[in-house]
Amino acid sequence: MISHAVLTAMLPEHLLLLGIVLLVALEIAGRWQRAALALALVFVGAAALAAACLSASGYAAAPFGGHFSVDPAGLLAKAMVLALALPVLLMSRDDFADGEFPLLLLSSLYGVCLMQSADSMLTLFLGLEIMSLPVYVLVLLAYRRPQSAEAALKYLVLGGAATAAFLMGTSLLYGGSGSMAITTFSNALASTDSMARAAVVLVILAFFLKGAIVPFHAWAPDAYEGASVPVTAYMAVLVKAAVILAVVRLFGQAKLASPMLELMAVLPLVSIVWGNLAAMRQPSLRRMIAYSSIAHAGYLFYALLGEPAGRLQAVAFYVLAYGLLNLLAFAALPPAANDQERDRLDNLKGLFHRSPFAALMIGIAMLSLAGIPPFPGFVAKFLIFKNVMAAGYTTYAVLGLVGSYLGIYFYLRVIQFMFMSPDAPVAVDSRPRHLALAASLVCLAAATWVSVFPGWVIAGF
Amino acid sequence: MFEAGVLNVVLFLPLVGAALLLVSPTARDDFTRRLTLAVMIVQLALAAWLYARFDANVPGLQFETRVPWIAGWGVNYQIGLDGYNILLVLMTAFLGPLVVAGAFSAITKDVKLFYAMVFLIQFAMMGAFVAQDLFLFYIFWETMLIPMFLMIGIWGGERRIYATIKFFLYTAFGSILMLAAVIYLVYSLQQTTGVVSFAFADLVKARLPLDVQSWLLAAFALSFAIKVPMVPLHTWLPDAHVEAPTPGSVILAGVLLKMGTYGFMKLGFPLFPDATQLFTPALMTLAVISIVYGACLALVQDDIKKIIAYSSISHLGYVMLGLLSLELVGIQGAVIQMVSHGLVAGGLFLMVGMIYERCHSRELAAYGGLAKLLPVYSVFFMILTLASVGLPTTSGFTGEFLVLMGAFKAAWPLHLLGNSLPLVLAVVAVTGVVLGALYMLRFALTFLFGAVKAPHHSERHVLADLNSREKAILGLIVAAVFALGLFPDEPMRKTELAAKAYKELVSTPRLPGGKP
Repeated sequence: MISHAVLTAMLPEHLLLLGIVLLVALEIAGRWQRAALALALVFVGAAALAAACLSASGYAAAPFGGHFSVDPAGLLAKAMVLALALPVLLMSRDDFADGEFPLLLLSSLYGVCLMQSADSMLTLFLGLEIMSLPVYVLVLLAYRRPQSAEAALKYLVLGGAATAAFLMGTSLLYGGSGSMAITTFSNALASTDSMARAAVVLVILAFFLKGAIVPFHAWAPDAYEGASVPVTAYMAVLVKAAVILAVVRLFGQAKLASPMLELMAVLPLVSIVWGNLAAMRQPSLRRMIAYSSIAHAGYLFYALLGEPAGRLQAVAFYVLAYGLLNLLAFAALPPAANDQERDRLDNLKGLFHRSPFAALMIGIAMLSLAGIPPFPGFVAKFLIFKNVMAAGYTTYAVLGLVGSYLGIYFYLRVIQFMFMSPDAPVAVDSRPRHLALAASLVCLAAATWVSVFPGWVIAGF
Repeated sequence: MFEAGVLNVVLFLPLVGAALLLVSPTARDDFTRRLTLAVMIVQLALAAWLYARFDANVPGLQFETRVPWIAGWGVNYQIGLDGYNILLVLMTAFLGPLVVAGAFSAITKDVKLFYAMVFLIQFAMMGAFVAQDLFLFYIFWETMLIPMFLMIGIWGGERRIYATIKFFLYTAFGSILMLAAVIYLVYSLQQTTGVVSFAFADLVKARLPLDVQSWLLAAFALSFAIKVPMVPLHTWLPDAHVEAPTPGSVILAGVLLKMGTYGFMKLGFPLFPDATQLFTPALMTLAVISIVYGACLALVQDDIKKIIAYSSISHLGYVMLGLLSLELVGIQGAVIQMVSHGLVAGGLFLMVGMIYERCHSRELAAYGGLAKLLPVYSVFFMILTLASVGLPTTSGFTGEFLVLMGAFKAAWPLHLLGNSLPLVLAVVAVTGVVLGALYMLRFALTFLFGAVKAPHHSERHVLADLNSREKAILGLIVAAVFALGLFPDEPMRKTELAAKAYKELVSTPRLPGGKP
């Protein structure tokens, strides 16, 4: 029966793998390249559906004892993250016509899935690397832009540093406990032993680097700017989601105590404040989103201050709300003659008169990211700060909320450009973009659903 | 059951209207205007019907709907009418069609988007008034900012971007601290009573120590006081009013500012009674400062919109004074004053908009002798001026008189006990009435009498007096002003039980360990 459990429990992963194999076959055949996107959509959709169905049926299993296990809540998170990849694929058609993008994306998603179910540091490491390596290449796919190589290299080097820190921390953990299970991490959190502490700090540092928490954030604006729009969307949403969900899994049932508490509260707080302040001065949309995502990483890591039981719920809801609206903004971003032009915030001036739909979509996305009700970003923020306050950290919660207030201005500035400024002289690109439109409609529908029935999502975790 | 359904329709009708605009053909602005007006009139009719059906002898909520929304957190979709909000709901519904009709000629750019924004803000304001659940209230409270932000920013005057961002950031700062307080309050309720709920009815049962109450009240009060606005948090208001388009100003002065005083009455004071007692001298002083300082500032303005903007600060000071007096007559006066100010300030802003459309100037010195030029306009203007001053038979008199009566009634016993501050404040507040007469009459005097002058007016191009649409709008407002001034019994009866409940809630100590 073990093989049966392996088949069922890893069904989403298997579907992704099958998709990857077929995509490689297409590449080798060198024909039907335009089918690659459809194929990828089908397999990612099927994987998401499989995870959702398994979750709904209450399936839980541990096919590889101590390395990989699934439970309904984790499967739902996996389904959610996979579903968030669908709009990314849809909006990629305009930038990438052939099969490389879907292939790399699916490979990366495999790593994302693996991380969500890791029970040992080894599996976690595998997932982290499988997720990251294709992303380095994805950034480089925008090779026509001069910044692309720089961005990819920067990302690669800092990603390497994160890997090194993670491995070092893991080896210290193993040295201290003789076990590779992820529970060694939560045990070490409570320990006062200096080796255990060093291990914990190194592992946390690796995730701070991956999640772009100040002061380990410097790569993010460059990498986001250098990549093309769908890749930026993928990094800002899915990579971030995978990292934070993995961290929640890693922390498990451990409650934070001093001095780790200060580390986990102060650096995210600084990220919130710094990300929001720095975003105000950015001339390009992708750099602005990068800084905004640094602030959002701050809120997400804040969730770890809350009671262990509520963490996954808060983080998953936040990831969903943040992801949907971020993707909505990217999908609705109007095309321009070249990638560079498309990105400049000045080009959004007067967008409402050129393209009311795009302006409304981006406007909604900005307000939601700013956490203004009735958009889902508000409930997400509310949930995180509610948990932080319920855990007794009132001061941190208030400081975090005030930090989030700082972010409102630059989101409003985008709306001001789109609705209140005179038209910018922009060459209008009138290529039909049915797929990007579909992506924004999908995101909009899902976001509406989440904001009208937040309880439906919350009850799932 | 049926009436509760009607209340839901009243609430969601504007949202339906916005959706209708979305699917209607783009090119026909006239169609958009008529459609909006029709929807607003239906809303008013339904609200009026609910008002008529509202039973003044039933304490608590009527026409209630309560559906679980976010079950895990105890958040319900709970709306209903009570003595607190019945008049404000009716007033909001009443101003809706007038705002829309007033915007027919004022707004010619992006018409469809504009009316969609009017619908959205109407929805949010209505929702904030009828919500009986703190989470729901907060969502409506914040949602209001978005359409107003766009309204000022897109259709406003020259410095509109500055004004609208200032408006948004100012109010959002209050809201974010209020959010922290909301979370803390609900969490404390859960800690002390084991009940997880956002319902107003449950939250007033929380027993909190005085220091916690004080912090929470401070956070709520900051948010509400910015909205009212109370001196010294008023600096966003003149900018927002001056730059806003006429319909925006009407909504802002007519309804949005009442959110602050309503918030104090429904939430701020009843939730934290002991802290309220502690803060009363300070808040009362600020209220009286707002009355006098607002009036003084109104006295020296050259911009006619600014005069009315500062007069709003002054008039809403009375509302605060009435609420803090904790005398039945003062509280009821405060409610009447809220409605009265909504009608009068709304009407005055509409009139300013009408003259601005003709002359394109808001400078007081540019005008004179309009009584000879625009007789009908001047009659309406004079009536509204006198209502603002508080002439008996108008609604302004009823409100201010009752508030001051309440303030003195509360102050006298305290004075006999040796605490003269409330009495002094009440006396100072009376001077506000005199100052009010001074600035409004100065305004009317310069505006209506003296040598005839008006920008864009010449022998060959004579200014046109009000057209029938404008007459109808102002006629309705003036009728309502007199109705409230001459027959305040009925509205006062409908708010009486709520005023009693409010007084009871705020004057009963609720520290931990007290009698349940």
